Amino acid sequence: MRRFGVAVLAAASAVLLLAFSGALFGHSPWSLLSILGSGSVGSRFALAGTLLKAVPLLLTGLSVVIAFRAGVWNIGGEGQFIVGGLAALVASRWGVVASLAAAMLAGAAWASIASAMRLWRNAPEVLTTILLNFTAIHLLGWSVNGPLREHAAQYPQTDPAGAALPVLGGVHAGIVLAVAASVFAWWLLYRTAEGLRLRATGFNPNAARWAGIRVGAQLARAMAISGAAAGLAGGVELLGVTHRLFERFAAGYGYSGIAVALLAQLHPLATIASALFFGALVTGAGELQRAANISAGLATFGQAVVILTLIVFENVRSRR
Amino acid sequence: MFDLVVDSVPLAIVASIPLLLAVEGELIVQRGGIINLGIEGMMLTAAMTAAFAAQTTHNLAIGFVGGVAGAAMIAALFGLFAIVLRADQIVTGTAINLLALGGTSFVYHETQAFQQPVPQLRTDPLLPLAWIVAPIILGVILWNSSFGLRLRACGEHPEALLATGRSVRMHRWAALMIEGLLVGLAGAYLSLALSSGFAENMTAGRGFIALSIVIFGRWKLKGALLGTAIFGLAAAMQYALQAANRGIPFHLLLAVPYVVTLLILCGVAGRVRAPEALAKP
Repeated sequence: MRRFGVAVLAAASAVLLLAFSGALFGHSPWSLLSILGSGSVGSRFALAGTLLKAVPLLLTGLSVVIAFRAGVWNIGGEGQFIVGGLAALVASRWGVVASLAAAMLAGAAWASIASAMRLWRNAPEVLTTILLNFTAIHLLGWSVNGPLREHAAQYPQTDPAGAALPVLGGVHAGIVLAVAASVFAWWLLYRTAEGLRLRATGFNPNAARWAGIRVGAQLARAMAISGAAAGLAGGVELLGVTHRLFERFAAGYGYSGIAVALLAQLHPLATIASALFFGALVTGAGELQRAANISAGLATFGQAVVILTLIVFENVRSRR
Repeated sequence: MFDLVVDSVPLAIVASIPLLLAVEGELIVQRGGIINLGIEGMMLTAAMTAAFAAQTTHNLAIGFVGGVAGAAMIAALFGLFAIVLRADQIVTGTAINLLALGGTSFVYHETQAFQQPVPQLRTDPLLPLAWIVAPIILGVILWNSSFGLRLRACGEHPEALLATGRSVRMHRWAALMIEGLLVGLAGAYLSLALSSGFAENMTAGRGFIALSIVIFGRWKLKGALLGTAIFGLAAAMQYALQAANRGIPFHLLLAVPYVVTLLILCGVAGRVRAPEALAKP
């Protein structure tokens, strides 16, 4: 309950700080907040926008939850998201299910490169996952300019995917998948032996080793699950929203997942609420850009403020 | 192919100056046991504050000072969280990158000063500074001074330094401020010399590339110079390749340095060892 309070406090202070930053540059904080509110939850259209943004955030957030719970620093959500999108596009001719399965496999495989390097050569995954992000970005750049370029060859983008997620009331079915994924992650972490081992490994790897857990294999599995979630996010984004790949396809969802997971205090079910909050923030900030010509970058700024405020609150709490 | 490489050298030397300065800064902090993932945001902030200072005062020197001030501000923020509050360095660095990316975009849209003309850089004092002066000075500091020895102790075995009664925190703060100075110059060079003014997300991953080069160079200055030269040349060659249109997929060429770094990290090309206490608070 206390942790819930800390999270709400962090989210609220982030929103307040945004209003304050606006005031610093001569915008009325009240109108800023009201646009942020109406632009994210004020209408059916706005609400659909919030849900659409929340879906990839929820999946990349879950990816980070699983990894951080196991004590592996998967900063590679961005790259796993991209290869997920690439695999989903290539496999989309065989239908939605095959496409999303391919996305998860690709994400898991991409993440497993990092865990293999960690296990065999002790290469820190913080660095390898970042390097893999850049490799994936250039792989995508090459694909959309080369082998996967649209037949019209007009823009550096691919042709539309051969399959698409069904749309239910303005929002694609990916939202059902994403919520199901967080329930599954909760079940995995708290109701299975695998989850117990995973959490034990993250809590104290040495103790886990003494308890008979094969820590290396556990880390590798956690990394693969984490990568699969980020890859799925890429697949869902492709089949539900963009339908094509282009160079800026990932748009920072991988990195935003870290903010989503931390606000949720690394709990899979709380990640739903956290993703909704950040989805609303991104959508509201988009409306700010349209209505008041304020940069939508404000949403990214808000993500950072949430993380930093959480650190401060945690610190105050642990010192008492 | 060979002529392409030769033609790209002058561009590579100039265009990789910000990268090199950032590599040198990150090398110093990592030797002290801090991994600053926020270097990307630090450089981006410096690029903005430098452009702002230069465009409001119409003075380049003040522009560079403004860049250093901006980077120092971010360094202080990073130190506050990672050193004082002992927060996780990876999480702090990620937050700082998001903060800078969103913050600079917001401020850029709100400020009129960015429409002002940017004064022209006539002579380029940073070229010899980045490639010759800074490596020598940093080499002397790291390997031939007692401060450097103690700083490296912070990176390998902080308890040893504590046992001598000195403060690990102060050494890491000092390293962080040296990084702030170097990255501040890097950001300023980016917005004042390599382009005329600030643009959103103009660092475009250079900070992360700098992180990679520090590993690529195996935490040594010579390796850092060599690594930057290779990365810089690869980046410069993409323009030449594009112009020459020889059908070489330059996007794949761009990925090569990262793959090479990954392989080096795995010790394929020799043993590699990171500072022992890297990223430990």
